[in-house]
Amino acid sequence: MVEALIGDTAFIKGCAAIGAGLAVGVAGIGAGIGESGIGAAAVGAVAEDRGFLGLGLLFTVIPETIVIFGLVISFILMFAYG
Amino acid sequence: MLKPEKMVKVAVVGAKEKLEMASEILYRLNMLHIETVSEDEHFKLGSPFEKAGQASRALLQLRSYISYLKLDPSKISVKRKFKKTEIEEKLSKKLSEYQEQIGLRLDEIKKINDTLKAIETEMANLEPLKLLEISPKLLKGYKSIRCFVGLIKADPSEELKKVTSDFEIVLKKYEDIYVTAVFVRAEYGDEFLRILQGYGFKELPVPDVEIDARISELEKRKEELSKRKDQLETEIEDLKVKESELLLAIEEYLSSEVEKAELPIKALISKHTFVLVGYVPAKEFEKFKKELDSRGFAVEQLSFEEHEMPPTKLSNPRYARNFEILAKTYAIPRYKEIDPTSIMAIFFPIFFGLMLGDIGYGLLILLTALYLKRIFKTEGWQKLLNIGIISGITSIIFGFIYGEFFGPFLLPGIENPQEIHFLGNFLASLYAFNHGHPFFDRVEEFGVKTLLFIVLMTGMIKMLWGFSMGFYNVYVEHGLKEAIYEKGCWILGVLGLVCIILGFSYNIGIFTTYPPTGFGRILPENLYVFGGTVAEARAVPLPIPGLVTGWEAGLNYFYLAALPLILLWLVIFLKGEIPKMGIFGAIMAVELLTWFGQILSYARLLAIGLSSVYIAFVINYIGVKVGFEPGIAILPLAIVIMLIGHGVNFLLGILDPGLQSLRLHYVEFFTKFVEGGGREYMPFGRVKKFIEEGGE
Repeated sequence: MVEALIGDTAFIKGCAAIGAGLAVGVAGIGAGIGESGIGAAAVGAVAEDRGFLGLGLLFTVIPETIVIFGLVISFILMFAYG
Repeated sequence: MLKPEKMVKVAVVGAKEKLEMASEILYRLNMLHIETVSEDEHFKLGSPFEKAGQASRALLQLRSYISYLKLDPSKISVKRKFKKTEIEEKLSKKLSEYQEQIGLRLDEIKKINDTLKAIETEMANLEPLKLLEISPKLLKGYKSIRCFVGLIKADPSEELKKVTSDFEIVLKKYEDIYVTAVFVRAEYGDEFLRILQGYGFKELPVPDVEIDARISELEKRKEELSKRKDQLETEIEDLKVKESELLLAIEEYLSSEVEKAELPIKALISKHTFVLVGYVPAKEFEKFKKELDSRGFAVEQLSFEEHEMPPTKLSNPRYARNFEILAKTYAIPRYKEIDPTSIMAIFFPIFFGLMLGDIGYGLLILLTALYLKRIFKTEGWQKLLNIGIISGITSIIFGFIYGEFFGPFLLPGIENPQEIHFLGNFLASLYAFNHGHPFFDRVEEFGVKTLLFIVLMTGMIKMLWGFSMGFYNVYVEHGLKEAIYEKGCWILGVLGLVCIILGFSYNIGIFTTYPPTGFGRILPENLYVFGGTVAEARAVPLPIPGLVTGWEAGLNYFYLAALPLILLWLVIFLKGEIPKMGIFGAIMAVELLTWFGQILSYARLLAIGLSSVYIAFVINYIGVKVGFEPGIAILPLAIVIMLIGHGVNFLLGILDPGLQSLRLHYVEFFTKFVEGGGREYMPFGRVKKFIEEGGE
């Protein structure tokens, strides 16, 4: 049965879609966990000195790259099998 | 433009007696960045002029008033500038006037505050006494009886009984403790006190008059004092409105006097002469020299040594100057470094527009920035809002290219634009010249692919550009060999990566097939080393020998070019790194993957934009369904949904593209070449805000 499924294009398409979703979603969770620590520290720094706001925001978005990687992977998956 | 302004190191020499005059002239010129110097046998650092002490005392007092009045000079727009002579004339009179009108009032307010606090404490003490329901007259003034009145943590009766049963106790619950009055014969007094203290007894002062009377007396007094305090505060407030500009003008005058008087601290002084060493912008040197020469001072140009670092004065065209605050947030470039502000001034708005790309949101940003510009007058805000205006304009331009006005009006699979956009038909008719299509459709698959390719190319170019400028920076400061080891090898490495990415793209047919799979026949189809076709290569886009079967079919000339580049990079890299780090330096080669990641990171230019497009699309879709669909048609609800939705998306649309665009510069671009750590050029003197220039 597994043999039959692997040959099925619909099955492959479905798996690709799930993979694309997971790539963005899980990467998002990871980036979120990363950002939470930085964000908390940045808020602390801003409370000390408001001039730190710009830099604090900047540090906070740094882990976002990981989501972008996820997104690129999901694009590639969707282009290739979608 | 790309370099900080050229500086000239100068020494100003003159007779010691004329130092005061020199300080006046230098302060007015506002050109000389004075360097700290070290003393030697004959030249010692000077001490401030006599007038410094007096001026700084007055300044200290004035600043305490200013800080009390919460006057912020940057928030006050100047209506009238004062003449210097006018201030000098009024100075002593005004200072004593302020002492009288602000200083004395502030003292009185402080006293009132203290009294009010005392009243509060007394009233807090009276409250538990009231619970005892015993007249204060009965609580004190006995001769043979000791009376303890106060707060206590628990009932002490049992223990007291052990001493004598001949006593009277009144105990009332007060919050979570007790208030008590204990009467006992004087001879047991001390013993009782000891026991009571064991129960945490805290004595309360008993007033001379009835408690209620005392409370109302205190309340009356409190009211009187508060009234007086309010009155004093309004008086000070009136004065603030009337005098703030003069107050700040005097502050400005006094601080410039103090600064001038403190010049000798930075000067080297011998028996008869003084020497000041510092930097002057090269293009102003002639003027500087002429001015000082004519007053009898000698100005000598000095040459600076390798290790010396002149201060950095950024020199950018007017448009780019707005972006200096963003560039400086990252770092102040060193004197010899490239100043990235101008590059940022071009790419920041383009990236912003590329991401947001919506006529509606762009217009909103433009209008908001124009409106705020009239409210926030400080220099920093003006610059920031100018950036907003520029970014708004690029968003409108890209919005026109993408065909978006508060969201897209065309989506694949939807025939009628009015179905998904409240202005769909109108927008479609606007693009009638292009068959109702925008120039570039970024929501449809080919658009996404194209944009992805464009932004990744941008990433590669900017990465190489960054490394090239880094190469220049290192070359200027440390020579060619260092530059090759530190930056040059990375240029080769990244070029290799670029070739691999291009080779991959070629194999999947981006350059050889027509849309939707490629951009047309840009390149010939036979760029394969072992002969082959694109159709065959597609199966093996990444031909790694040994890992992928049939890799020969996918080996194109791009991959072939990448091989020597990567090898060359690896050799140079290891040659540079291993002597420094030992064999572990080799591990650092992994860094090449970081650059690959950073190129991919440019994909955010596409991703951020797409997310905002889809949010806008969903809001419009719901709005149109709720507002116009037969059967529902609740127009007001639809309007509310769209207002809130687009409001949120608009805020996200400022924050996210702004931050991401900034980040693409800071993290992916500046790290390649800006080392930073420069000192800002801060000339002796200041730009006057409240005092007329040239009035001396």
